[in-house]
Amino acid sequence: MLHRETVIENRPLAPGSDLYRLVLKGAVAATAQPGQFVHLQVGVATDPLLRRPISIAGSDRAKGEVTLFYRVAGRGTALLTRVRAEESLSVIGPVGKGFTVPAAGELLLVAGGIGLFPLLALAAAVDRSRVKVKVLWGGENRSFLETVGRATLFPLGMDYAVATLDGSMGHRGMVTDLLRAELSAELFRKGETGPQNVAGMAAVAGGGRGGQRVIAAAACGPKGMLQAVTGLLLHAGVPVEVSLEERMACGVGACLGCACTVRTADGALARKRVCRDGPVFDGKEVVWVDQD
Amino acid sequence: MTKIDLTTRLGSLQLKNPVLTASGTYGFGEEYKAFYDPSLLGAITVKGITPLPRRGNPAPRVAETPSGMLNAVGLENPGLEAFLATHLPKLEKLNTPVIVNISGFSLDDYRLLAASMPEDSCIAALEVNISCPNIKGGGLAFGTDPRSAEEVLKITRRHTRLPLIAKLSPNVTDIVVMAKAVENGGADIISLINTLLGMRIDLKTGRPVLGNIMGGLSGPAVLPVAVRMVYQVYQAVKLPIIGMGGISSWQDAVEFMLAGAAAVGVGTANFVNPMAPLEILRGLETYCREQGYGAVREIVGLAHR
Repeated sequence: MLHRETVIENRPLAPGSDLYRLVLKGAVAATAQPGQFVHLQVGVATDPLLRRPISIAGSDRAKGEVTLFYRVAGRGTALLTRVRAEESLSVIGPVGKGFTVPAAGELLLVAGGIGLFPLLALAAAVDRSRVKVKVLWGGENRSFLETVGRATLFPLGMDYAVATLDGSMGHRGMVTDLLRAELSAELFRKGETGPQNVAGMAAVAGGGRGGQRVIAAAACGPKGMLQAVTGLLLHAGVPVEVSLEERMACGVGACLGCACTVRTADGALARKRVCRDGPVFDGKEVVWVDQD
Repeated sequence: MTKIDLTTRLGSLQLKNPVLTASGTYGFGEEYKAFYDPSLLGAITVKGITPLPRRGNPAPRVAETPSGMLNAVGLENPGLEAFLATHLPKLEKLNTPVIVNISGFSLDDYRLLAASMPEDSCIAALEVNISCPNIKGGGLAFGTDPRSAEEVLKITRRHTRLPLIAKLSPNVTDIVVMAKAVENGGADIISLINTLLGMRIDLKTGRPVLGNIMGGLSGPAVLPVAVRMVYQVYQAVKLPIIGMGGISSWQDAVEFMLAGAAAVGVGTANFVNPMAPLEILRGLETYCREQGYGAVREIVGLAHR
């Protein structure tokens, strides 16, 4: 689980951009599942001390490569930008519990900002001849969405809709607006007939032809957005898996640093480790506002 | 190549080598099985156990600092009953001595924990945690008042025959006073240091970073403080010492042993380099060979010559 991976590529998505693509070649690609992440050592000195968790955005088993994207957010990621092709990085991974990959039906991917990245791995893992994928993506502005989108989502030929806060691209507003529109049929029916019985993503496998759509969803983004998105989806009777983010130390479940709170089946509150029990959780079990 | 004697004697606790893990950094041993066989280490120390389960503090629980980190996990643990029923059988299978860290909020808690730990299992010793900075009441309160610290050790001593390790807090004016107190209380071994109380404030929000506001500092940043305290305690008491605090290389381990530690605990370094304990063990062996020592215990306390 501890590997030295060779850097194939590490460059900004556009000249001057603080968004980077990092391609690593090594053992991680062989077993990487969508939603998992790698825990990278960004330097050799003790400052910054800790590894950086970065979600896997794509993997190519034949070539033995995984693709990661990151935004320069602090000293650790700034240091990472200095790593050059053909150098190697110490990588723990792949780690964590990933997304369920639906076998049929419709899959809604709801992303906020750079939350798009782990969802790309899920989009690549589904059989698109059997699963209809649609991406709803909210971002700061056109510049961000175009820089990231051109390098990732836009060339994939997948159905998508975007929203920007300043209205410079797509819908002016939030990704939840796009989601509400997307779910209008389900929300309307829900208003008429009461709650549907949706028992997790396995329900999707039954197919989605004729009558009601069978939808599952996966989401990643800022916590407030995830909470709103999950609320909307569950209200519409659509099961959703969310990928959470938390400050992390060990990345393997030993230090209990990256805690989140969930409500278990018996109604009790429990803490889970984002790094090992997640980062992907069933949206209906996540407790968004910590109780104590 | 000469074989180096790595065996280590900590009072009645005999270990095959002096490299241990620090409590709270090694889960219940399971997590690091993916990297190497934990039985290669002298012993592993598991997460602090309290009588009842604890959910611990809200997130964020960790924050990076220059050459270190703060944590405020708040003693999240499954509680005594679940530890004995679920975790102990799994630890037994690791086939290695286990040090169980016990944490209480009252003398009764320590009494219960000591009396409940089996004396015929893989548990090789109890580490009496009187130094957790991240919980309200108990914990650190016992670790900063010498009379309370002595009481905790006394009551624990009366309820188990397992070797007792007193884990000292560095958040005191005089570490020697605390070391003498736990020696009087009946401790067999002293481990130090626990984390140093600290905090960080997020410039963007203007609020403390940690959910618990304050947390414990660990990592290379605390190493000189820990070496100093090991040196002082070695001079003041006769008990064997497990030194810890920022150890991430064999050089660090040698430094602690020269200061007087008979064994070392690897903590935060596990998060950065999961192989750190094994690399330290191999480095210690090479160091002894190159310096002409036949046994690693020969270097303990040499800085006091």
